[in-house]
Amino acid sequence: MNIKPTQRAVAFFIAASAASFGAAAQSGEKIAVFTKNQTNPFFQVVRLGADSAAKQMGAVVTHYVPTKPDSIPEQLSQIDDVVIKKPNAIVFTPVDYKAMGAGVLKMNAAGIPVVNITDRSEAGKFVTFVGASDYELGLVTARHLLKTLGGKGNVVILDGVKGSIVSGDRNRGFTDALKEYPQVKLLAAQPGNFQRLQGLQVMENLMQTHPQIDGVLAANDAMAAGAIEALEGANRKALVVGINGTKEAVDAIKAGKMLATGDYNGFLQGCVGTMAAIRELRKLPVPKEVVFKASVIDKTNYQPADIPADKRVCPKWEDAIKG
Amino acid sequence: MNTLAQKPGLALPHLSPEQRAVLLRLAVLGLLGLALSLAAPAFLTTGNLLNVLRQASLMFLLASGLTLVILCGGLDLSIGANVALSACLAATAIKGTGSIVLGCAVGAGCGLCIGLLNGLMVTALRIPPFIATYGMLWILHGVTYWYMNGETVHGFPPEFRMLGSGYLAAVPVPVYLMLGVLLAGTVLTQYTTWGQEIYATGANTEAAALSGVPVHARRLAVYALSGLMAGLASLVFLARLNSAEGDMGESLTLQAIAAVLIGGTSLFGGTGTLVGTLIGALILTVVLNGMNQLGISANWQPFITGVIVILSVLSDALTRKRHGS
Repeated sequence: MNIKPTQRAVAFFIAASAASFGAAAQSGEKIAVFTKNQTNPFFQVVRLGADSAAKQMGAVVTHYVPTKPDSIPEQLSQIDDVVIKKPNAIVFTPVDYKAMGAGVLKMNAAGIPVVNITDRSEAGKFVTFVGASDYELGLVTARHLLKTLGGKGNVVILDGVKGSIVSGDRNRGFTDALKEYPQVKLLAAQPGNFQRLQGLQVMENLMQTHPQIDGVLAANDAMAAGAIEALEGANRKALVVGINGTKEAVDAIKAGKMLATGDYNGFLQGCVGTMAAIRELRKLPVPKEVVFKASVIDKTNYQPADIPADKRVCPKWEDAIKG
Repeated sequence: MNTLAQKPGLALPHLSPEQRAVLLRLAVLGLLGLALSLAAPAFLTTGNLLNVLRQASLMFLLASGLTLVILCGGLDLSIGANVALSACLAATAIKGTGSIVLGCAVGAGCGLCIGLLNGLMVTALRIPPFIATYGMLWILHGVTYWYMNGETVHGFPPEFRMLGSGYLAAVPVPVYLMLGVLLAGTVLTQYTTWGQEIYATGANTEAAALSGVPVHARRLAVYALSGLMAGLASLVFLARLNSAEGDMGESLTLQAIAAVLIGGTSLFGGTGTLVGTLIGALILTVVLNGMNQLGISANWQPFITGVIVILSVLSDALTRKRHGS
């Protein structure tokens, strides 16, 4: 957090210096990057990935983030602004995969190439899609827990927001993994709306009904952290997994409080999305889609994820798209 | 309202409408508890009841200050955002200096300052409470998001976490805080002139002013208290969650308003009690607890909350009408 003003200053400096070079500079493509909110650490990491990629390739990034988290009208009006400002390319995460379709069509109509990252937009033409598979992440993270439990025991699921595509896919991954381990009993699946407090309170309530809970499958790290607090408060032990690979989850894994987290790879999504946009402008080949292989961070391999995102650098394009 | 005592045919004629409202809510809570203890065997256990009390205490701490504001005829929509900023500032203060006392002072102080600003906007600038505190909500969100920049601050010393997660004699610490605030608040509102002036201001500001109540000072004070309570609640939330993030207060304001309304405090001011708000918080908490235990999707919780709010306000309106007040 204390590095934030520096980042701002650096971003401003890059933007200012690039602006002073003007259109005369050979590279220095202007890339507009849209993310969903300022509150989720995941998107902060995506933005840092985009910044790192732009710095490496000599392009300039401007970030568009709704001040009200995930606000559809705000992102729509930001699209209107961008269509007038005409950046060379756009890297785009829709705040809502259905509702933002009209906005994407506007960008298409303006003839600006758009790369879709993180959440797949329902409508519109894109250079490519860059993201992780929520289903695969749910599957491999749950498998990791169930295998560690020795294929037996009682588990509970803390779901995200019902009806959201992310939550639905992660839940499908969880339940498909559970089918592979028929001796594991699913005691309950309750929504915690991706929120820490709700994850904590739902876990507290579930512990009252179920005297023996061996594992917790949480659809994101914040709810997993809430569940860990609930378990500690009741002096009970269970293996907990979450998804997203946040710094907080890595710290909990290091401290032995959390078993694992599915790596949503925000930094790489930012890197590859921005690189793809720049490559498209430079007429370099870009695959139809880049979906990273789902991987799990645990105590054996957390080191790379432990590096603060503002100190990481994007891998080479060829290495990055291998997944 | 005085007509009540003159109708001997009514049951419980010696009760004021406010006491009647509290009893009605206790009955509803009791029925809910009875139904749940029959349906879910784990409901009526000491462990679960303490669990419910702890969850309700977090909500009550936040809703108690709001109750005063609403009693006084105002509204404070900024409390959730206040919690988020106060908690984030307290979190970084503790992390940065290692001093728990400083952290607590920062959290409570931030809450109080925000409350004072709200109060000044409403009294000195005469901005309607809805607008002033709604604007404040946005300002606080903006400042908090900027300050946190998507980061999470987590991991606090055990002594601090006692405040939210600790036990004293097998009872969670927040429950003592809740009882302390309830006691102090009830004495203040029911048994002091200051408290009666709050009710008078809320019931009819002009009449209160004409009869010599310093209405501006009282209104400023309730907003300050509401802010202070949000600041204190933020410390308990922080200690309970062991973590601060920019959006941590988002869902809290509407829940607190629901607890106040279910508790029988009228949005028009002048009627209501802190005990009612506590029962409101308990009803909301028991509903979630029961749904989790029965395996009903907790997504139905907002729906049920809405139904209870409307029924509760409706029942008060009908009672008052029947008694011709």
